[in-house]
Amino acid sequence: MLRKAIILAAVAVVSLVSVSRLAAQSTWPTADSYVSADKDSANWILPARSYTGNRYLTSTDITSSNVATLKKAWATNIDARGPLEVSPIVWNGTMYVTSSHNDVYALDAKTGAVKWHQAYKPHVIAFSANRGVALANGNVYEATLDGHLIAYNATTGKTVWNVVAAHDTTNTFFTMQPVPYKNMLLLGASNGDWGGIGYLSAFDASTGKRIWDWKTIPGPGEAGHTTWAGDSWKRGGAAIWSGIAIDTASSTLYVDAGNPQPDFLGTIRKGSNLYSNSMVALDISGATPKVKWYHQFIPHDTHDWDPAMPPVLFSGTVAGASRSLVAAGDKGGNFWVLDAGTGALVYQLAVSTQKGQNTEPNRKGDIACPNTNGGVEFNGGSYMPETNAFYVPSVDQCGLWTSPGTATYVTGQFYLGGAFPKQVGPSTGYMNAVDIGSGKFLWRKHLAYPQIGGALSLSSGIVFTGGTNGDFTAYDAKTGSVLWHNPTNQTIQAPPASYSVGGKQYVVIASGPAGVNFADPRLGQGAPTLEGTYSHATKATITAFSLP
Amino acid sequence: MRTTALRLAGALVLACFAPVQAAPDDHAGAVAALADVRAAVAEIVHIEDSYAVGHGIYLRAAHRAMNALVGRRDDGYAAAFGDPGDGVGTLGHLDTMLDKEGSSLWTPAIEGAKANVLAAADNLQSAFGEREMEDYEADLTRALANLALVVGRPSVDGVLGGISGALGNTTLGVPAGTASVSGCAPPAHTPAYGIVAQRLVYVALPRRTASTTIPDELSIGRVVVQGDDVILYTRGAGAATTACGHTAQLPRADLQRRRLQQTHLQRTRDVQRFTDTPAMVVAAANPEPPYTAAQAHDGIAVFRKSCLQCHGADLQGTAGPSVAGTDFLTTAKADKWTLSDLRTTVFQNMPFSDPGSLTPKQYAAVTAFLLASSCYPAGTKPFPQADSSTLATIKLGPIPGAKPTNTKLGTCAVK
Repeated sequence: MLRKAIILAAVAVVSLVSVSRLAAQSTWPTADSYVSADKDSANWILPARSYTGNRYLTSTDITSSNVATLKKAWATNIDARGPLEVSPIVWNGTMYVTSSHNDVYALDAKTGAVKWHQAYKPHVIAFSANRGVALANGNVYEATLDGHLIAYNATTGKTVWNVVAAHDTTNTFFTMQPVPYKNMLLLGASNGDWGGIGYLSAFDASTGKRIWDWKTIPGPGEAGHTTWAGDSWKRGGAAIWSGIAIDTASSTLYVDAGNPQPDFLGTIRKGSNLYSNSMVALDISGATPKVKWYHQFIPHDTHDWDPAMPPVLFSGTVAGASRSLVAAGDKGGNFWVLDAGTGALVYQLAVSTQKGQNTEPNRKGDIACPNTNGGVEFNGGSYMPETNAFYVPSVDQCGLWTSPGTATYVTGQFYLGGAFPKQVGPSTGYMNAVDIGSGKFLWRKHLAYPQIGGALSLSSGIVFTGGTNGDFTAYDAKTGSVLWHNPTNQTIQAPPASYSVGGKQYVVIASGPAGVNFADPRLGQGAPTLEGTYSHATKATITAFSLP
Repeated sequence: MRTTALRLAGALVLACFAPVQAAPDDHAGAVAALADVRAAVAEIVHIEDSYAVGHGIYLRAAHRAMNALVGRRDDGYAAAFGDPGDGVGTLGHLDTMLDKEGSSLWTPAIEGAKANVLAAADNLQSAFGEREMEDYEADLTRALANLALVVGRPSVDGVLGGISGALGNTTLGVPAGTASVSGCAPPAHTPAYGIVAQRLVYVALPRRTASTTIPDELSIGRVVVQGDDVILYTRGAGAATTACGHTAQLPRADLQRRRLQQTHLQRTRDVQRFTDTPAMVVAAANPEPPYTAAQAHDGIAVFRKSCLQCHGADLQGTAGPSVAGTDFLTTAKADKWTLSDLRTTVFQNMPFSDPGSLTPKQYAAVTAFLLASSCYPAGTKPFPQADSSTLATIKLGPIPGAKPTNTKLGTCAVK
């Protein structure tokens, strides 16, 4: 590996690329590497590129004048048991990706060749998905669908340790990508529709030992506890499952807690239900996290409209003044911009059709928009300083909600107080560019399919995103015109990333079968038959694109 | 326990037995209350199962059910529609039982039953005003669910057991004119009801009396054949007799040994000698999920169209979880899922993107397909299209002796 690193460094010098690329070529990322990850164009070592959560790249060879020539460099098929939602981690020419069912792969980032593959067969509680690994200390870390946290040797793929990290494996699983921070792994648990209470945990990256938990629902005697009627807080949900952002200078962690539960029955949990549907800023400088501020987006949500978008920290210009901001998006179709220091609302913008939002689901049923999988989803979006705009895809659907007025907790089953809504009407999406200066649209494109593929913005004025119809697209950041697109013919519900090997820049995207939430009959991907044969190929693929 | 259920031949020498808190009038009241509930349920089920059209026919069924529940002394009674009950109504009977001074062991169960009757009456009241058929059906489904709780189950003791639970576990189960004895020891004579601290411990019957019938509302935990008598111990007998202070009097060790020695078949055979309702004893084991092979076959197409995309051709889950075989059954056992839990998830929450969109027949068929795929044996009783309280008594889990066609996944091919 060292020999290879030296060769790569030599190539980098010849290519006259930035010094930051050189600096990155140590054996494994150091604590400094993570803090300055946004300046390292060769590697991608945090889920959303940097601790700010902003998928934005300053050093890029891809420009609006050459993006049209992007070609597929390689494509590697991986385990296709479910949808791919992975955000690849790339370090020193090796890419680490995961499949929906927790298989882990180390790929040659230049060729796509499989270096090692660890298969896994977790018990699946409800949805199969995984958003990727963390890389630290020569290990890759994966949090699994059966509630484990596993360390694999990054070079060999061999298991280093494997711990049960979920408190209750009957109703809790992991889809989130662990985030390395100061020899800790930060990880949220998915249990927000299955009768649990959300929590964010810190584990010792060396041993897997739990360091702390921060619970999203205040217990008796804690501030905010009285926002839950009676004992309803005990199964109140508010899971942390998408992503986090960290301001390393102030040791502030930004996290969104998900919807309260039972999802569709508010009558048994009267109150605003803190910290469900809230962004919370946590001081993580001490032994345990402390709440600095919170901002609840939808108090007492009864439609599963959780703020799925991972927080994005950025400095934007509002009314002519530069401000430290944090962006959020929820499944209720709202894009939010808050003051990063105080949590005060700067503005809110509807990015999906909104209708009937104040009627709680009832026995007869009511239509409300967006649908439960509508609005802004778990890959979020990105901010580009050059345009002072935020690029965020959204889903435009409506749903018919019903609730029988009762909710029963059954171990390992949904705890909803109703059923997930029936989708009614069209199923479309938007690619939105929001002008941070005004809080209004710079441009937006109405597209035929739901858009949940996040966004990667390049300082050269390009925004990449993928749609559930399989189109991987490069937009002109200023105008929204399509500069390039590639049909993967598979559902895209993963975010794009960028890296370089040997001085050549690659843009990578994962695509595969549609997830439970995004199965669309129009996709025509076919489905496996009962006989076990496939009427159409259903594959899951990692595809890298590069300039000729 | 119907009043006709225990027709005992031969003269009884009642003087031999010490009376223990017998409450014959309350027993009759509870039995009559139960009969009125069943009359109300029959009205609803009959109209639901028919192909009747017309608002008036459905309205009539709801009113008749209401009449059976509330009785003619209630404001809600509408004489014009007729009364399938006895005129006193479930509420009338239960009120009479509850109006007495003091309380019995069965009082909480009867109070609970009354609350559920009132809830069902409220559902029926809503049904009277519905314009849309689906709204009417929703009301009646809720009424049926509440009435299922009123009826309750003999196997459940306490407030959740409903009227059946009270009859099957307390002195309420002792009919007028029959003997109550201390349940701490087997009876000297039969027939007799063994009681300990107001709990029904056993019903002892003469084996060779052709006209003897097992009480309907009885949850049998153990059957002991003793000479010419058979003693049907209730499920709660063991716990109840701890109050005796002389537990040795109850031949528990002997009973345990017998349980091991006697096969299920042998027990059934013993009971068949004196009763025409052997199913009562069979019910003591975890029942098999009901479904037919034809239903499971029909479920193949439903699964293919509506479920396969997320649950996979091998039923082990793609975007969603496994729904049959070893992984599913192991989880079901660990999480204590009943067939009712499975039904709720399938009928109410699936397909994920369009829950409730299949017909009851399709939902029943696809549930049958899942059960068959998990290697449960097919039977003659179909998986019910309407909800049934019995489903909650059927626990899911790995099936002893199953012979999966796919041994790796533990699934059976459905044809």
